[in-house]
Amino acid sequence: MSILLGADAVEVAYADISVVRGVSLEVRAGESVAVIGPNGAGKTTLFKAIAGMLGLRGGSISYGGARIDGRRHYEIVQQGIVYVPAERELFPHMSVLENLELGAYPCYGARAERLKFVLDLFPRLLERRRQLAGTLSGGEQQMLAIGRGLMSRPKVLLLDEPSTGLAPFFVSEIYRQFAQLKREGLTILLAEQQVPHALGFTDRAYVLENGRVRLSGASRELLGNEEIQRTYLGMG
Amino acid sequence: MSANRSISGRSALIAVTLTLALVPLALGGSAHYLRIATLALIFMAYTVAFNIVFGHTRQLFLCLGALAGASAYFSVVLTMKLALSPWLTMPIGIVVAALLGGAISYVSVRRGLGVIFVGIVTLVFSMIFQNLVLGLRDWTNGETGLETKAIAPAVLAGGLPSYYAILAVLAVAFVAYHLLMRSRAGTAFQAIADDELAAELAGIDVTAYKVLAATVGSALLGAIGAIHAYYGGFISPTVYALGSIDIVVLVTLLLGGMRTLIGPVLGGILFTLIDELVRPLGRLNVMVYGVLIVVLVITFRHGVVAMLSKRLKIRLP
Amino acid sequence: MLAILIDGIVQGLQLSLMAVGITLIFGLGGVLNLAHGQFAVIGGIATALLMGEGLHPLLASALGVLGAGALGLAMDRTVLVPAYRYQGEERLLLGLLITLGLSFVVNGFLDVRYPTVALTLPLPTPSFTVGGITIRTASAVVALIALAAFALLFAFLKATLLGKVVRSIMQNEVGAGLCGINPGRIRTLIVTLSAMMAGLAGVVQGLFSSLGTELGNEFTSFALIVAVIGGVRSINGTLVAGVLLGIINAFASYYVGAYLTLLILLVTAAGTILVRPQGLFAFRT
Repeated sequence: MSILLGADAVEVAYADISVVRGVSLEVRAGESVAVIGPNGAGKTTLFKAIAGMLGLRGGSISYGGARIDGRRHYEIVQQGIVYVPAERELFPHMSVLENLELGAYPCYGARAERLKFVLDLFPRLLERRRQLAGTLSGGEQQMLAIGRGLMSRPKVLLLDEPSTGLAPFFVSEIYRQFAQLKREGLTILLAEQQVPHALGFTDRAYVLENGRVRLSGASRELLGNEEIQRTYLGMG
Repeated sequence: MSANRSISGRSALIAVTLTLALVPLALGGSAHYLRIATLALIFMAYTVAFNIVFGHTRQLFLCLGALAGASAYFSVVLTMKLALSPWLTMPIGIVVAALLGGAISYVSVRRGLGVIFVGIVTLVFSMIFQNLVLGLRDWTNGETGLETKAIAPAVLAGGLPSYYAILAVLAVAFVAYHLLMRSRAGTAFQAIADDELAAELAGIDVTAYKVLAATVGSALLGAIGAIHAYYGGFISPTVYALGSIDIVVLVTLLLGGMRTLIGPVLGGILFTLIDELVRPLGRLNVMVYGVLIVVLVITFRHGVVAMLSKRLKIRLP
Repeated sequence: MLAILIDGIVQGLQLSLMAVGITLIFGLGGVLNLAHGQFAVIGGIATALLMGEGLHPLLASALGVLGAGALGLAMDRTVLVPAYRYQGEERLLLGLLITLGLSFVVNGFLDVRYPTVALTLPLPTPSFTVGGITIRTASAVVALIALAAFALLFAFLKATLLGKVVRSIMQNEVGAGLCGINPGRIRTLIVTLSAMMAGLAGVVQGLFSSLGTELGNEFTSFALIVAVIGGVRSINGTLVAGVLLGIINAFASYYVGAYLTLLILLVTAAGTILVRPQGLFAFRT
């Protein structure tokens, strides 16, 4: 399998403070990869840089063999990389349906078919399709954000802490949906604080601490890793 | 990095005051140019006030003319109607301006108004002032205005004595500015201008300091506004209109640079020169001001003082 | 009484037409356009000049409005570009100062070049009677134009893809970018549209009375007040606020005179900003 998305020695700074200090990772087509680490490790900053929302201070990001760092974030969406931020960034005064439709902006003509796909995946959104996004519960908003991201037929989905603030019931549900998407061949890059879910679902994982990659490897192996168990799973 | 020498505020203050004091000698006895220079001093003082209120605490008071005018009209009308001495009514005008400015600031900060909304509110306040003056014709003589030559204190009647009297007031304004910025208030201002939320969280009483800045600035506006009224020979709504005072101050502060002691002076000198150059264009000068604002805001945002500081590698106050 | 009410509503509609441009540019571009009134004047003056060349009033008006739009486009693509590089408050401040400077440039130019040009659009019949009430033809025409413009605007925003894109950017610029939407191009469209609406409001003023170059700042001030009272991000709010203020203006003028009325409106504006900065109708776009 070829590398679809790659980051090479990426450095990102926020107001003169280095947040990501030389991170390299790669994601192959069809893989799902987790990026775990404590708060402030730089996961969100890294994702925003890949999505084109932040500029790089050093290193490069490539997609399908070509460099994409320096592109505007809306161009990167049109190329097939969709970022679903932890803050969701929905359109509060528009209905679920309108939010989803706008998600299909890059391929607006095909939106009917994508809509069916997303509403099948998230029946709850079908129920609430005329409700204003701002009035949805946290879990439903998260589903809407992910659903909106899926509307443009992305090749790579960047999910930033999708389980934040969600009740365990919702977390299980969306991870079930992720598994479905994985089966359909979608490439997923996932940043998570909920380590068990992240490692249970993905093929490989990177552990980010203080802006650097501390560990990486097959998710199953990392689950069994003593240090991981101690630091992130609260055992031993 | 080369070591930055810095010129102390006190030295700059003395140097600037001395330089300005010597200006009349260079004017060759021309009464016309002396008047221009004196008016330049007045506008420098207006700019110092705006520097305190906007430059240091980001309160976009687009009502400089209104505050100065409020003081001026109070002083002049009281002097005329009650036959009081201007020396008595000027302080009243100052208090009026200070109270108004302080009140606007207080309410705005308490309501959490952003910079833009303060700008809009003060713009509306300017319009209210203009309309009040136009409407209360019995007191203010409306658009025609009032002649102040007859009631002006002798020292403000014109010529060299007026120049030096106003220079003295300007010097006092500088000293007040200097002391204010060196005090604890000055540090608070810096923190507030950098990041208001962080300052609040750090325990700084943002409300108190912003209101302080607005009150001091407004008091200065009131003082100069009243002086302007007597020196100028007459007052009218136009004298204190947005296009007469606020725009000039804005350009001057942009030219000279915000948050510096000598910015208003350098800016004022530059503006006066430009104004003179532009005079033959007649009413097109407004266009020039507009172009200046746009160009300055886009390209030259930090003003002459910052540019000189960088070039000469000296920190100018 | 009814005549005053109708008068007020019509005046209010013109105010709303004037103000909606400010709301659009603020909500979408994050810039407070202090040159807005100048677009109205440009629309009106251009129309007057074209009519002076012998063009039919309708054609001249259309071209005048387009001319205003062209200048709006130019403004967005040139002097506002530096402002767009920033976000939030920085952009607001920069935009405010740049448009302020621009308003002086335009005002100064028009003042010197065309000080005596004024637009008046007389109508064949000055008034007509319906159900016992005499209505000025001008009022009816203005009301129709304004309502049509708003209807088109709402239809555009609700029903078309571009309109939804515009609303999405106004509600969440980041979110729009995440959907692959390029906010810059849409911004240019909206600025142009806003300038045209201002131009239309200027032409409409020619129907009411007359429009001269000196009215630019006055237009901007009123547009600002209406937009702020209605909620500077809400188009519904702007429409309602304009009509409300128009009605208040009409009644107050009748009972207490023009000068006091203006004062009342200004104090209301200041009061609204201080008591409820997000405007009366902050909720919906």
